[in-house]
Amino acid sequence: MQGSELQKYFHEPLFIADIKATTKNDAIEELLNLFLETKHIRNRQIVLEMLHTRETLGSTGIGKGVAIPHGRTTAASDVLIAFGKSEAGIDFDAIDGKPVHLFFMVIAPPHDEDNVYLPILGSLVTTLNIKKNRDKLKKVETFKEFLSVITGE
Amino acid sequence: MLKKDLEMLVALQDLDLMIEEADDVEKLGFNITGCSELKNAREELAGRLSKPLLFRYERLRSKLKRAIVPVKNDICLGCFLRQPTSIGTKGREDDEIFTCENCGRMLYWID
Ligand SMILES: [Zn+2]
Repeated sequence: MQGSELQKYFHEPLFIADIKATTKNDAIEELLNLFLETKHIRNRQIVLEMLHTRETLGSTGIGKGVAIPHGRTTAASDVLIAFGKSEAGIDFDAIDGKPVHLFFMVIAPPHDEDNVYLPILGSLVTTLNIKKNRDKLKKVETFKEFLSVITGE
Repeated sequence: MLKKDLEMLVALQDLDLMIEEADDVEKLGFNITGCSELKNAREELAGRLSKPLLFRYERLRSKLKRAIVPVKNDICLGCFLRQPTSIGTKGREDDEIFTCENCGRMLYWID
């Protein structure tokens, strides 16, 4: 999946330039709250449980300062991605043990009509494997700046 | 009491979807180490459901892959068919578990 296609799953209300959380659990909740505030999700408890369960499967902190907490849940209707950034970094039990600065939370329904969930995860991993992209994302302050990195413009 | 069952079913399905896709997710570059823990959690949760309900869930899963689907704006997100508005009112409030008349999946109202 190309960045130009990926961008439609991001929305400004699901963007935080400066995450307040300082712990893994709080970071997950802070990002999840964005989905609740925008009414994309109503049952907080079910989705929170799913996200925590996902972390027991293996930390979604994939290293190099990036975490992609994700999962399908019956409590969601659309595939959406929230983005958050922490300058200080948060201990997320990442595979390389390093603090996480860039967070992408991907929430998907039990089945999405266009089967985009796994391609989205793959595309995020690919984009974030590139150092130049990570460096740029660490500096974004606005949603517009953020999207320009995602689309590669 | 039954709405609680429905929420347990939703949690069970979320777990099953996660187990099902764990290999695909690992191939994308994620670190997957806790499969056996997840399977244990799944069995523990399944054990808390009544046998007939679990049987109904398993049968739907084997037939349709997704046993419970969200309903949004009166649309069953399993088959994308509109549900009668009258069901929606009951579906949100009643303690009964409703199924889609078209695809047979159990419905979970999310709006
Ligand atoms: Zn249906």
